[in-house]
Amino acid sequence: MENLEALLHGFTIALSWHHLALMVVGVLLGILVGVLPGLGAPNGVSLLLPLTFGMQPVSAIILLSSMYWGALFGGSVTSILFNIPGEPSSVATTFDGYPMARDGKPSTALATAFGSAAFGALVGVVLITVLASWVAQAALAFGPPEYFAVYFLAFASFIGMGGTYPMKTLVSLAVGFAIAAIGIDTVSGTVRLNFGVDELVKGVSFVVAVMGLFGIGELLIAVEEEVHAKAVSSKVEWGEVFRTVARLPRHWVTLLRSAAVGCWMGITPGGPTAASFMSYGLAKRFSRHKENFGKGEPDGIIAPETADHSAGTSALLPMLSLGIPGSATAAVMMGGLMIWGLNPGPTLFIEQKDFVWGLIASMYLGNIVAVILVLLTVPIFAALMRVPFFIIAPLIFIVCVVGAYSVSNSFLDVMLMMGFGIVGYLFKKLDYPIAPLVLAIVIGDKAEDAFRQSMLMSKGSMGIFFSNWLVATLVTLGVVLLVLPLVMQLMGKRSRKPALAE
Amino acid sequence: MISRRGLESVTAALTGAFGLAVAVSSVENGVSWTSSGVEAGTFPFATGLIIVAASAYNLAHAGVLRGSRARAIGWGDLKKLAALFLPALALVAAIPILGMHVASAVYIFAVLVPQHHVSVGRALVMSVVTAVALYVLFDWAFQVSLPRGLLGAALGF
Repeated sequence: MENLEALLHGFTIALSWHHLALMVVGVLLGILVGVLPGLGAPNGVSLLLPLTFGMQPVSAIILLSSMYWGALFGGSVTSILFNIPGEPSSVATTFDGYPMARDGKPSTALATAFGSAAFGALVGVVLITVLASWVAQAALAFGPPEYFAVYFLAFASFIGMGGTYPMKTLVSLAVGFAIAAIGIDTVSGTVRLNFGVDELVKGVSFVVAVMGLFGIGELLIAVEEEVHAKAVSSKVEWGEVFRTVARLPRHWVTLLRSAAVGCWMGITPGGPTAASFMSYGLAKRFSRHKENFGKGEPDGIIAPETADHSAGTSALLPMLSLGIPGSATAAVMMGGLMIWGLNPGPTLFIEQKDFVWGLIASMYLGNIVAVILVLLTVPIFAALMRVPFFIIAPLIFIVCVVGAYSVSNSFLDVMLMMGFGIVGYLFKKLDYPIAPLVLAIVIGDKAEDAFRQSMLMSKGSMGIFFSNWLVATLVTLGVVLLVLPLVMQLMGKRSRKPALAE
Repeated sequence: MISRRGLESVTAALTGAFGLAVAVSSVENGVSWTSSGVEAGTFPFATGLIIVAASAYNLAHAGVLRGSRARAIGWGDLKKLAALFLPALALVAAIPILGMHVASAVYIFAVLVPQHHVSVGRALVMSVVTAVALYVLFDWAFQVSLPRGLLGAALGF
């Protein structure tokens, strides 16, 4: 009940003309970056970040989170109409969304996607409303060892569930940690890892890394794949939209299962991309019309879209209540919180009630705004896709350069960004996950501080990580997740050997 | 042209070298335990070693991954990559001299006309619009002063 009251209070903050206008602007910008192939939610949000420094934190987070919703929706538009995923997390939507649209039912495909996306987002927000303050309350009792254990668990689950190549995830994560360590050490005040470059004393901003890794890296990948926009008709028939949404509840099993997958993957830092693929796979396995998958099966659109959005939304739960972002975009937003002078984590729920509940309320409103706007603007953004890539690419380059520069008016940042661009290209090309790298840059310092404080408390004994049941459970769970891929690989090798011989 | 295996190996070698540099550089900061706690270099030192170890694993496995013999980047791809990246690099290099606005305008013009045969008139319009848009959006609306470069200093802009 207390949560409901707080939420209602949040609505009084979020429901002002000023904030509604910010939502509209945020969602439209979000759809734009979602639609454009070289830009995505993480670097879209980091591009906006420097522009929010003068704003109230509530207004700033509403703008940024609305952009996130818009980007999630925008990614689906291009997946369905052009077979080009605007976002990595909407790749799975192309499997059935594009065939359905191509077969003359673009309105049905779009409405199915947006309807299930809205449902997924709603489940995510409800989860946050119910759980966030409870988790925060529990976390208030956390000391440094508990914090380190939670960070450890987050990183371990990346490696354990992050995909096919655990060692590549580990490299990505550790490189992020090393980058986070560059600059002045907060505990001892000494300069670390500046490799003789004086300017590196200020450290490397995550915004610069995101801009290069996602922005430039994505462009280089896109130019190679030669994006050819061959659109199916992008006219929206409103009657069909409403009929499709009315038909959605019939797919309740897929909806609920996908939302559950999404929430789980969002809270543990599996992220929306992994969630949508996993959910698509599950939907196919349990479907009675397996043979229709890939040919425009509604369940094949519902599953990835619901999971994508519920994961994207619930990724904000650990960010708000624990200070651990569940996705790359959440990591960027958390970086923003720290820049605005807020301390992400459980104390936020006590010291910044207006901020937290204003944000949560804005998530309900922002998603409604997003659904309406995305339906209204489909023809406009579809037209944008017909602008040739060779015109869009240099513009995105300029936007990234300006974005990296404006973080701290530093030319070094621009050069670093170009370097990160090459790293991003190589990593993408070779299936190294990039989200762990960004996550580690944002929270690497905090994890290290928690570790060093714990060591101070215990006078150098690792035993402190097993000193009570909570820490011990978290650490053990983390270790299990770390060892899991190794075990799986060993077992997989044994069973795969005969297959390799053919 | 470049095989998947080659690209995997180069990337693993690069990350490994980075890890090594991190580990070596951290030794200066102290990598052990003192009465005032864990020394500043310990965490990065361990991180560096992890990077080296994981990179060594990736390097060793570069050849056995699925499709490792397949071509990762062909000549055509390399040309396209260069056509996109080299002008962008030139843009970055030109910023301290020409300033952000002028460099961007020149960059847009130089990419569109020779590479993609956009007519000179249209390209000119697009370059000018880009420079003005940058000024209006950043310098004017959001008060983020973009670099003017040596050219700007000479003109007193």
